[in-house]
Amino acid sequence: MRAVVFADVGRVEVADVEAPVIERPTDAIVRVTRTAICGSDLHFLHGKAPIERGSVLGHEAVGVVESVGDDVTGVRPGDRVVVSFHIACGSCWFCRRGQTALCDDHAILGAGPFGGDLPGAQAERVRVPFAETNLLAIPDAVDDERALFVGDVLTTGIYAASLAAVTPDETAAVVGLGPVGSCIVQALFALGARTVFGIDVDPARRTVAPAAGAIPVDAARENPQMVLARATDDRGADVVIEAVGTPAAYETSVDLVRRGGRVVVVGMFAGEVAELQLGVYWARALDVRFAGLCPTHSYWRRTMALLAEGRLDPSPIVSHRLSLEEAARGYELFDRRAATKVLLEP
Amino acid sequence: MPTFPTDGWFQAFIELINRSAEYRTAAADWEGDIAFLVQAEPDIRVPDDVWGYLDLWHGGCRGGGVVDAGTGERAAYVLSAPYTRWKDILLGELDPIKGMMQGKLKVRGDLPTIVRYVRAANELVRLTGEVDTVFPDEG
Repeated sequence: MRAVVFADVGRVEVADVEAPVIERPTDAIVRVTRTAICGSDLHFLHGKAPIERGSVLGHEAVGVVESVGDDVTGVRPGDRVVVSFHIACGSCWFCRRGQTALCDDHAILGAGPFGGDLPGAQAERVRVPFAETNLLAIPDAVDDERALFVGDVLTTGIYAASLAAVTPDETAAVVGLGPVGSCIVQALFALGARTVFGIDVDPARRTVAPAAGAIPVDAARENPQMVLARATDDRGADVVIEAVGTPAAYETSVDLVRRGGRVVVVGMFAGEVAELQLGVYWARALDVRFAGLCPTHSYWRRTMALLAEGRLDPSPIVSHRLSLEEAARGYELFDRRAATKVLLEP
Repeated sequence: MPTFPTDGWFQAFIELINRSAEYRTAAADWEGDIAFLVQAEPDIRVPDDVWGYLDLWHGGCRGGGVVDAGTGERAAYVLSAPYTRWKDILLGELDPIKGMMQGKLKVRGDLPTIVRYVRAANELVRLTGEVDTVFPDEG
């Protein structure tokens, strides 16, 4: 079958690889109808995360179940499904409590040794372990393209908005309007927020904020701290969601929040270090919530329902729809920020 | 009248510091340079970040002015805030200690030491208000 593989640092290619087979009785094989390139795939492209040459990349997919192992009864061949970007066992202590991103057997599709060395989803077919946990049926009202987002960024948006717990009388700010930040803006409104500021220096990314109902802030033209101060009688935002994953964005988020407010850290961090003045955090009574990876399985049903009701729509985020064979071009566009979201069709 | 935050403004401020008997007494054994990061607000005519610098030593100021970011970042203490917050401090509308605790003004450096010199800090703040100042957003 054809699949997108890591060729070398700075290079991916579409190659013939062995088609997946059922390896365990809890597996399913999904024929992929849509997959996508995610910001975290670029870590492999840039050589910042380890992965073997020839490994299949990608972790976002929708498709049709082609075959299932003997122990799988919850999904059947022919079912239209979305795949969770991270794989959880569904039965360990953490999974039973809904914290599936902390699963004892946690893995991520197409993410190299740190992701459990599972082949990725940018392929014609993908093997999904613990299929009953990691596949969700797609209702007729939702097409494949929109359903794709339930497996990762849109559900991350709902998770972040749930952690933020914004009430209608509160003011929220989202720092960073990439695909995740954009989904967070939508999710905040879907869960009841009324006033949301969206902050980014990139004009293209800022256009999605007003489309979703948020007030765009050009951080290159206005000082976001003063914009929020003016909007809140000099207090600052009640809730700030950091959706970038850099120390500078984290620091900005802390600058924007009012004393007694909440900061939700969704952006992904690895080896970064930040200097914190604990006394100031204490005096300001800051509530900082590190989101970690989204426990997709605990939030994706709600996300799918909101999508089916038309209260969420990730379509404006999609900038490019390419065939799987054009994946290298998709990576190149995404890498130089000429694309907001690239979908691939096998 | 010097415009805040220009080198001319900092020179006028330094002159006032060196003439202040109160500061000389309160900071008699202070040793440490301080940088002031005035963060840009392009929409109100402060297009770029500005770093001010004071070489404070034993109750006086040995020199300073507007410096580049690299020099400012190396100072023992760095106080940073958007331009409007600094203006509020200069006009006596924002108490810097409260501002610090409310996250409106950030301080990098050994906080317990600064807190021991609160009288000197208050005199510095009072002196900023003594500089005849032009504010760029009011021009």
